[in-house]
Amino acid sequence: MSGPATPLSVLASRCEEERACIRKAFENRAGAKKTLLALCELADRNLQQVFKDVLKLHDSKAEGFSLLALGGYGRRMLFPYSDLDILFLFANEKVEEEFRPLISEFSRTMWDLGFRVSSAGRTIEECKRIEEDNAEFHLALLDRRFLDGDQGLFEKLDQRILPPSERQARPFLFLQLHRLTKERLTRYGNTIFHLEPNVKEAPGGLRDYQAAYWLRQILGDRKDLRGSSAAEEQLAADAVEFLSSIRCFLHYSNARNDNALTYELQAMAAVKSLGVTDGIERSAAEWMRIYFRHARTLNRQLLRYLDQKMAGPMSFKERFFSAARSVAKTEPPASGDFAVRGGQIEILNQQALSDRRVMYSLFVEAARTGTPLAPQAERSISYIMTHSELPVLNQAIEWDTLKEILAGDFPGVALRPMHRLGLLMEILPEFRVIDSLVVRDFYHRYTVDEHSLRTIEHLQELADPPDERGVSFAPLWRTLDRRDLLIFSLLLHDAGKGMPIENHVTGSLEALESAAERLELSPEEQAEVHFLIEQHLAMSATVQRRDIFDPAIVSGFAENVGTLERLQRLTLLTYADIHAVNPEALTPWKAEMLWQLFVATSNHFSRTLDRNRLHASDEKSMLEQVRALAKGANTADIERFLEGFPRRYLAVHSAAEIARHFAMYQKLSVSSLQTELTPERHGFSLTLLTADRPALFSTISGVLASWGMNIIKADAFANAAGVVLDTFHFSDLHRTLELNPTETQRFMKSLHDVLQNKAALEPLLESRDSASRARPPKIAVQTRLSFDDSASAHSTLLEVIVQDRPGLLYDMGSALARLACNIEVALIDTEGQKAIDVFYLTSQGKKLTAQKQDLLREVLQGTLG
Amino acid sequence: MMKVEAIIQPSRFESVKDALREAGIEGMTVTEVRGHGRQKGHTEVYRGREYTVDLLPKIKLEVVLPDKLVDLVVDTILKTAKTGKIGDGKIFLTRVDEAIRIRNEERGESAL
Repeated sequence: MSGPATPLSVLASRCEEERACIRKAFENRAGAKKTLLALCELADRNLQQVFKDVLKLHDSKAEGFSLLALGGYGRRMLFPYSDLDILFLFANEKVEEEFRPLISEFSRTMWDLGFRVSSAGRTIEECKRIEEDNAEFHLALLDRRFLDGDQGLFEKLDQRILPPSERQARPFLFLQLHRLTKERLTRYGNTIFHLEPNVKEAPGGLRDYQAAYWLRQILGDRKDLRGSSAAEEQLAADAVEFLSSIRCFLHYSNARNDNALTYELQAMAAVKSLGVTDGIERSAAEWMRIYFRHARTLNRQLLRYLDQKMAGPMSFKERFFSAARSVAKTEPPASGDFAVRGGQIEILNQQALSDRRVMYSLFVEAARTGTPLAPQAERSISYIMTHSELPVLNQAIEWDTLKEILAGDFPGVALRPMHRLGLLMEILPEFRVIDSLVVRDFYHRYTVDEHSLRTIEHLQELADPPDERGVSFAPLWRTLDRRDLLIFSLLLHDAGKGMPIENHVTGSLEALESAAERLELSPEEQAEVHFLIEQHLAMSATVQRRDIFDPAIVSGFAENVGTLERLQRLTLLTYADIHAVNPEALTPWKAEMLWQLFVATSNHFSRTLDRNRLHASDEKSMLEQVRALAKGANTADIERFLEGFPRRYLAVHSAAEIARHFAMYQKLSVSSLQTELTPERHGFSLTLLTADRPALFSTISGVLASWGMNIIKADAFANAAGVVLDTFHFSDLHRTLELNPTETQRFMKSLHDVLQNKAALEPLLESRDSASRARPPKIAVQTRLSFDDSASAHSTLLEVIVQDRPGLLYDMGSALARLACNIEVALIDTEGQKAIDVFYLTSQGKKLTAQKQDLLREVLQGTLG
Repeated sequence: MMKVEAIIQPSRFESVKDALREAGIEGMTVTEVRGHGRQKGHTEVYRGREYTVDLLPKIKLEVVLPDKLVDLVVDTILKTAKTGKIGDGKIFLTRVDEAIRIRNEERGESAL
């Protein structure tokens, strides 16, 4: 082949020199914008020169043939080592045929000059048609720029051909860009907070800016589209400049189009103060916080455009669901400060937001229902949060309010925007140290704050597990008591990673101490969160480093955990903590190992309940606490009360509760039956103290059933002196007690009368019976009865799994009483429509004989069905 | 060159890894696997649901070595992975014809 008119070697060396100059200028802080423009002009000049030379060589004129720059190159943002996106535009197919040999020579020459040409060829007619499988081309065409050739042809395309077809194609382009962007964001876990982010493709990267730019062009003249403020535009421009600097730096450092901001390059960028002009020296972690701030700006801008919808009438289905949603969810609170519309929480009264209590109530609603805040609502809150001069009312959040957010079914739906808006750090300043914090770790993929929020979102997903790993854990999440404590632990479990401290757990516990004091957690609440944070690695370590099939290991682990309730919380915390490390960290293998350890430990608890009895004199500290709370009561009396209770009693009741029980115990000499009814979040709890007697448990269950109360949980313990302490947690199915306060007295009187043989139970039960038993169950549970003689030295363990229904416990208790089986300990639990009851039984002070077990099985099967 | 493939108890993995590192073995491939030999699984019942673990969790560890190091590695694994109980696992040895380092196409033992 003969060479172009200007010798290639001359062009090539000139190119190299100019590239070196541009790089040097960049390294001397010329700025990204200037660098990109200089690279673009270098490419333009060479491309025009080569084009001219090739035409000359072929003795051709560019009639009906032009050269266009597309995409980033079209926008004059050409990065070092990036491709030149070029379109060869032809007037018709004949011209295309004529110029084909010239094109291949042109591309080869450009390549030899060090330019990576990525080209496409279209006739002007082809540009009119929408290529449905090539949305990328049409999007790149939005950035078209004339380079060389037939200018008239370009103007025809630019001003006459494309404008009408692009207007027509807007819905298609919007949908395609929406789809491509969502796919890209999903590939990166929908978060900007990657430890080693890809500055082009990851959320918050330059592709976000580009997509937002295109969306703005597509949505362009929509009147309802809210534009960005000048301040937001400036923030976005600064972010583009910062990220472009990083991308130039990465390409130069790697000598290729590689956009991964690795730990090593983060450290180098921080040393150079890349993209920062304030002259302050920063560590890599601090410099990365600047990166995340800019990435957040670009990502937020993109999401705002992505949330827009192409105008068009709603389909019948959309109208129907929109109406149904508003009926189901639009229940504005009495104050009328916000409402749910179109599946989002909208603010009705902007002024009310100056009262933080109103602002918090939005997030309580989001956590309760899973309804996200509307973008406009977030912008309003953001405005308030970033204007400290505005008046604020009730800034300090109360623990009760925060608890409501944490205990909701969708805590992540509230906590994520709270963090995005800076509200989380305002109410929980201990979280600030891990904001956008990069901690170098081979396994972790996200910043520490992002990891913490993801743990919470992974738990939230358990309401409807997205894959098999969560299936076993889902019932634990659904039935967990005090979720707020678990979620609070997750927010703080890694706070120590942001502190200059060797063991991050120590730091996290310090963070808890300060937060607990400010928020006024009770000592029991603080102790529970303390345990979860302190032990947050224990279960994972046991799963990975111990033989979880060894009973001694399980026993040791159970002893460390203490109670079933703690085990449930720790299991969920461990599940979430591993899951949030990176998308692959929780392998099905690990999930199964974790579940096996949970099951083995849970079974260990229920099978050793009767074995571990309290020797009150050993519990010095507890005795002291109870004595202090019981206003100087006699220690010997407290010891007598506690002696012989299963150890679980101590584990599940606080010192204050034990002191209350003790006060009831002291009154037994006045009245042989002591009761206490306390309202709870989902119903009531009834505590009852009396001397043990046959059929006591079933009688109490019967009274509750006769009043339409559904027992959710219960336990029955007896001390060495035969004093029984029964606790029943029940829901008031017909809201009898809640709606009729006077009925509480009647209910308690009825309970006392039946237990003191002043009234019969049967007539009360008959009135309830027929109605409550008629309802068919939603999920059929197969009855399962199992006896275990090895679990306890003196009792037989009976485990019953059965379909839950009102009056069930009464029926079971009555059957046990009829066969003269004494309940030594009982643990009653429900999981949806499944009742899971464990009884430790004796008959005449001994274990049940094999014949008695057979008889009991037969009777219970007849009763339970 | 030989490939040493050891199937061990997950609980012994950290100790084996540390012992191999102390013995100068730097590289290894580790996989979470399930399986059983003579050790059969077991059934655990939780809330009326049976969880049968017939394929037990194990760790598979693979190391390719020059012949002279094979005995050292096998001894190290034996010493650290053994608990004496059924289920301790197995070690398999396979001859390897060639090793190639992808980065620089180095071949043979120097590529290990």
